[in-house]
Amino acid sequence: MSQKKILLVDDEQALTRMMRLNLEQTGRYEVREENRGANAVRAAREFMPDLIFLDVMMPDMGGDEVAEQLKEDPTLKHIRYAFLTAIITKRETGTGAAEISGETFLAKPVKREELLAVVEELLGD
Amino acid sequence: MTEDAAKHEGERTPSILMVDDIPANLRILYESLKGRDYRLLIANSGAQALEVAKRASPDLILLDIMMPDMDGFEVCRRLKADPETKDSAVIFLSALDDAADKIRGLELGAVDYVSKPFNPDEVAARVDTHCKILLLERELANRNRQLELVRDRILNSMAEGVVGVDADARVRFVNPAAERILGADAQHLLGRRLEDWEPEQLKRAITRALAERREIVVDGLSLPRAGREHLPADLRVAPVCASDRLEGAVVVLRDLSDRRRVEAKLDRTSDELRQSHRELKEAQMQLIQAAKLESVGRLAAGVAHEVKNPLAIVQLGLDYLAQVVELDGTSIEVVNDMQHAISRADTVVRGLVDFSRERDLDLKPYSMNRILADSLQLVRYELVQRQIAVETALSETVPSRMYDPDKMQQVFLNLFMNAMHAMDRVGTLTVATETIVVAQDDLGTHAKQVGFLPGDRLIRVRVEDTGPGIQPQDLERLFDPYFTTKRQGEGSGLGLSVTRNIVTLHGGSIDLENRPGGGARAVLLFRPAQDSAKERDEPKEDPAGR
Ligand SMILES: Nc1ncnc2c1ncn2[C@@H]1O[C@H](COP(=O)(O)OP(=O)(O)OP(=O)(O)O)[C@@H](O)[C@H]1O
Ligand SMILES: [Mg+2]
Repeated sequence: MSQKKILLVDDEQALTRMMRLNLEQTGRYEVREENRGANAVRAAREFMPDLIFLDVMMPDMGGDEVAEQLKEDPTLKHIRYAFLTAIITKRETGTGAAEISGETFLAKPVKREELLAVVEELLGD
Repeated sequence: MTEDAAKHEGERTPSILMVDDIPANLRILYESLKGRDYRLLIANSGAQALEVAKRASPDLILLDIMMPDMDGFEVCRRLKADPETKDSAVIFLSALDDAADKIRGLELGAVDYVSKPFNPDEVAARVDTHCKILLLERELANRNRQLELVRDRILNSMAEGVVGVDADARVRFVNPAAERILGADAQHLLGRRLEDWEPEQLKRAITRALAERREIVVDGLSLPRAGREHLPADLRVAPVCASDRLEGAVVVLRDLSDRRRVEAKLDRTSDELRQSHRELKEAQMQLIQAAKLESVGRLAAGVAHEVKNPLAIVQLGLDYLAQVVELDGTSIEVVNDMQHAISRADTVVRGLVDFSRERDLDLKPYSMNRILADSLQLVRYELVQRQIAVETALSETVPSRMYDPDKMQQVFLNLFMNAMHAMDRVGTLTVATETIVVAQDDLGTHAKQVGFLPGDRLIRVRVEDTGPGIQPQDLERLFDPYFTTKRQGEGSGLGLSVTRNIVTLHGGSIDLENRPGGGARAVLLFRPAQDSAKERDEPKEDPAGR
C-alpha cells in the first residue's frame, strides 16, 4: 500500500517522463519530476522522497552539487540518491549501477530492467 | 732617279721624299742628306709627289710650298686625304718666313717646316729628329700593337662583353663576348651608333657617361637579341679621358644568364628548404592535431551527453511501450531493430569517450578470431539488410595473445561500418586472419612507424570490401581525427583515428590501402604474445578462444 516516493532530477524532460512512466507502470512507486537542478533541493523538501535520481550534468546546477546540499541538510541527508551519467560508460558500470567512491552511478542509456533493479536495490531494505 | 730610289725602299731604313720644282733646291737637299742611312726619293712637281708618295709610302716628305700647278699646301691636303699616304710625315720647305704659312701648314697636318734658303746641317738635323720621332712612333705603334694583342687576348677571353665607343658614342671595338651578349658580330657593330640600340637604358647610360664624364652602372638590364630571348645583363660604362680630353667610353656588359643559372640553382635549394620547412610545418600540424585530441576529451563529454540523453529516452520509451502494448510478431522485430540501433549508437559514443580518456587497456588473453566473430555478430543484422555477403578466412593457428576485447571489437566495428558505408548496398566483406612472416611489401606506413621489419613473424588481419576504394589524395589523411568524406551528421571522422589509437595501444599497426581489383583493404598487424613460442607449440587452438 505505501508506495515509495522517487524524485527524478534531469534537465531532459522527456527522459524524466520516460523514467516516470516505467517506474509508475510497476504500480509500486510514486514519482515526481524536476527538470532544474537548482530546484532539486526544494522539490526534495516538499516531496520528501525515499530515493532521488540526479543527472550529473545539468546546465544550472550539477547533480553532484545537489547531492552536497542534500547531505548538508539535516532533514534531507537520510535520503538515498543515485547519479545518472552520460560520461561514465556501460563497461565501467557493468549492467546496473556502479559504485564509484561510495556513490551509485547509472549509465545512460538506462534500460528499464536496469532502472528497476537499481531502485529495488536502493530501496529494498 | 726617283724610280731608282723607290726601288730600294727598305724595311727599316727611313725613306724620304724631297719635292721641289727647282732642281737646285733638290740638289742641296740631296747633298744634305746623302751618305746617311736614308732612302732618298725625289719629285719635281706636286703631281709627281703624290704619285711617288702613293707608290713608295715615304716616312718623311720634304715639301716645297711654292710650286706651279699644285702648291705644297694642296699636295699636303691631298696626301692627308688619301689613307694610303696620310701616314707620311710632311715637313714644309718655305722661302717665306711667314707665320701664317707655317700655321697653315701645321694645320694641314705637317709636322714641321724648314726655311729657305736651306742650311744643309739644319735640314739634316730636322730630318734626323723627325726620323727618330718616326722610329719612336713606330716602336710605340709596335708596342701598342702588342699591347693591343694582349688587350685583345684579354678582351677575347673575357666573359664580360667590352665595347669601346668614341666621344660620339660610335662603336670602335667589340670583343667576342660583347658580340655574343649583343647578339651581333663585330662587322655589324663597328661604327654603329649606340643610340641605334635598345634598350633605352643602355643608350642613356652611355650618353650620360660621356656627358657627365663619370661611370654609370646599371644592374639588371634585359637586352633584346634578334630572334632570341632577352638576355639579362649588368652594364657598366666608364668614360675614357686622355689628359682631360674625352676619348670615348668603355662599355662593359656582364651576362647574367650564368648567374641566373646559379640563382636558379639557389632557387632549387631554397625549394628544398621550403619543402623541409613544409614538412616541419606538417609535423607541427600533427603536434597540434595531437593537442587537439586532448580536447577531444572535452568534446567527447559534450557529445556523449548530447547523444546519450536521447538514446536513454528512446530506450526507456521502447521499454515502456513493450510493457504496455501487446506486441505481435512484426512489432517485436521492429522493437528489436530499434534496440540494435540504440546499442550501436551507444557503442559509437562509448568509443569516443574511451578514446578521449586514453585509459589503459583491459588486457586479457584472447583469440583474434573470436574478437572478429563477436564483432561480425554485432553488425550481422546490418549486413543482411544491406545484402552484403561475408567471407571469412580465419586461420585456426593464429595464436592468442593479450587484447582488450571490447576495444578490439570497437576497432572492427569501425572497420566494418566503414566498409558497409563504402559498399552501400550489395557487396562482399572479407575478413581474414593469418600468421605470416612479413615481407617489405607487406608493411604499410604505420607498420613501419610501429617498427615492424621484414622477416618479423606477425598476426595479420585483413578487412576487405568491394566498395569504390579510397581516393588517392585521401589516403594520407584517413586516420586524421575528424577527417571524413561523409556528409555532415553521417560521420564524425573519428572512426579510423580511434581505431588506430586502439591498435597502437596494442602494439599493432593498421594501414588502409586500395585493393588491386577495386575496393579498400584494412591491414592490421600484431606481434604474437611474448610467450607465443609456447602457444605456437600448441598444434591447434580453439578458434573460439577461451
Ligand atoms: N572501406 C573504405 N572504403 C572507402 N573509403 C573509406 C573506407 N574506410 C574509410 N574510408 C574513408 O575514410 C574516411 C574516414 O573514416 P573514419 O572511419 O575515420 O570516419 P567516418 O567513417 O567518416 O566517420 P565515423 O567513423 O566517425 O562515423 C571516411 O569518411 C571515408 O571517406
Ligand atoms: Mg567510420
